[in-house]
Amino acid sequence: MQIELALFAHLTPYLPPAGAEDESGSSHARPMDLPDGTTVGQVITRLDLPAGPRIVFVNGRHAPDDHSLANGDRLAIFPPVAGG
Amino acid sequence: MRSIMRLNMSTLSITTEPVPDAWARYGGRALTDAIVFAEVPPKADPLGPEAKIVFAPGLLGGTSAPNGGRLSVGAKSPLTGGIKESNAGGQAAHALAKVGIAALVIEGVAADASARYVLKINADGSTEIVRDDSLTGLGNYATKDALDATMGDVKRYATITIGPAGEMGLKSAAVAISDPDGYPNRFAGRGGLGAVMGSKGLKAVVIVDEGLPYLAHADKDAFNAAVKKFANALREHAVTGQALPTYGTNVLANIINEAGGYPTRNFSDGRFEGVDHISGETMREVTVERGGNVKHGCHTGCVIQCSRYFVDKDGHYKTKGVEYENVWALGADCGIDDLDVIAELDRNCSDLGIDTIEAGVTIAVYMDSGKLAFGDGAGALALLEEVRKGTETGRMIGNGAEATGLALGVEHIPVVKHQGLPAYDPRPIQGIGVTYATSTQGADHTAGYSITANVLAVGGSVDPLKPEGQAALSQGLQIATGMLDALGLCIFVAFAVLDIPEALDAIHEMAEAHTGQKWDTDALMQLGKEVLTMERLYNESAGFTAADDRLPAFFYDVALPPHDAVFTVTDAELDSVHDFVADTATAMGISKP
Repeated sequence: MQIELALFAHLTPYLPPAGAEDESGSSHARPMDLPDGTTVGQVITRLDLPAGPRIVFVNGRHAPDDHSLANGDRLAIFPPVAGG
Repeated sequence: MRSIMRLNMSTLSITTEPVPDAWARYGGRALTDAIVFAEVPPKADPLGPEAKIVFAPGLLGGTSAPNGGRLSVGAKSPLTGGIKESNAGGQAAHALAKVGIAALVIEGVAADASARYVLKINADGSTEIVRDDSLTGLGNYATKDALDATMGDVKRYATITIGPAGEMGLKSAAVAISDPDGYPNRFAGRGGLGAVMGSKGLKAVVIVDEGLPYLAHADKDAFNAAVKKFANALREHAVTGQALPTYGTNVLANIINEAGGYPTRNFSDGRFEGVDHISGETMREVTVERGGNVKHGCHTGCVIQCSRYFVDKDGHYKTKGVEYENVWALGADCGIDDLDVIAELDRNCSDLGIDTIEAGVTIAVYMDSGKLAFGDGAGALALLEEVRKGTETGRMIGNGAEATGLALGVEHIPVVKHQGLPAYDPRPIQGIGVTYATSTQGADHTAGYSITANVLAVGGSVDPLKPEGQAALSQGLQIATGMLDALGLCIFVAFAVLDIPEALDAIHEMAEAHTGQKWDTDALMQLGKEVLTMERLYNESAGFTAADDRLPAFFYDVALPPHDAVFTVTDAELDSVHDFVADTATAMGISKP
């Protein structure tokens, strides 16, 4: 299956390199091929993200690490951020 | 000794009196509220002779309390018609406190409406009132330059100024406060308080604090220990220690957009396709590349350092930030995705002296009427030029989103208590909707920043798309915010305070060690409740009812993409937010003014 992976702020450098097929032009998002049923936590391990709190969205909703991803999902991961 | 200084513009006389014992624990928002509550009739014309405008540093102003230099500006608001506390950074709060002034109250109106006055407060507490009509119509930047030219060898002073919008009495007019580098770029933006200042004939206040030390403490060692504890917590928390200093407030753009709550083109979509062009990450890259400053405090003593200077393509200062709310209001809400255009709009709002949030929301409403296309940056700039000229269209824009929407027959006017909504759509982020609906201030995100638990996983977690738990979340945050505003602390300290218990302890330890009064956690929360109680009772006497504690109908009826969300918090839950007011009023021994 393929998902869209997006990483922000201090996590952006952990994005895999853009493939030739990536035409989105986004500085934060990449398509990512994964085995069916991969969980959020498995993606985090695979990316070797730094330890510490994270805010995870799947399709714009908060999701826990054991959430199983589906084809076409958008997974977005943020370090703790705030402002206003 | 803390004193209240009064300038009567009708007589051009100045008096000073000690802060009454009843207000000994009040600073900042608590003190501006207490003075407006006691002295400004709730039915008074906000721009008339009975109105007053109050400037107050917090209880910790003039000390080294980290992030303790916020200024409260209070009045009856010409925009909302209720009590208003508009909060700003910059140098004025510390300067006033160091001179010994707990509140500066401007009363009456100048006999000659064409006169422009400057109040100068010297470091020794002496004062001068100077009439200088050459300041008429000048923007905040030119006004600041003109004031600088009068200061001779004096290097250290803060200014409080208004631009032409304040002089014209426009309902979105703001009050500008000078920052540590002297730029008049920190604002008490919301609620039209610049118009109140302008209605009095007061163009500027200069406060000289050259040579003045921080204030003495009742217990110096205990104060310094609490300061250290507080500063450590702010540096340790990932938000206040890393994200905010690195990216500024606009780091929020991507996450609010991801959550589907980034209001786009007058609150018609929850995601903006151009967010990548205007996000905090992109703004940092652009600013660093151009040689701009990407990390400084908006006032002396700030340890978070979320402020920055946006520079033009040649590396010249353009404006501060640009802050998240401003990038959103003048960007996504207007469908504009060009940072340079947004910065130019921000600079113009700052110079005119109008609230950037109200300006952006207003321009978006204007665009929604069909008179200007979404995304038309040049057209938006032309509208601000109309404001500067004081044309009929300009006055309509300067009077805010509701005035503009009603004049043009726009269906969706995003206001509560006549004030434009900030940068979070209340349908997919319902906790902030509770704050918008119920705040004494009108739609104001800072009044109870439910984004914390709704989106940012700070201070717990409450599902943003569901109504459960939102009223309690907003209530707790509104009380805490009232407390922070009274102490003069930046509300961004809350991100650390909500997660690190020692930070809350440090706050009452600083208050106790500085004042010698007994302070603990309960006393802090009581202070927050007293603030809201005064505001709530005042608004009731000004004519507000439960019907004013609601969002506009379209937030209940029109589903917002991408989550197809509508606002579902019940009226009964909204009405529960102020369930402590009656008991608190009884305990305070006050009733409706």
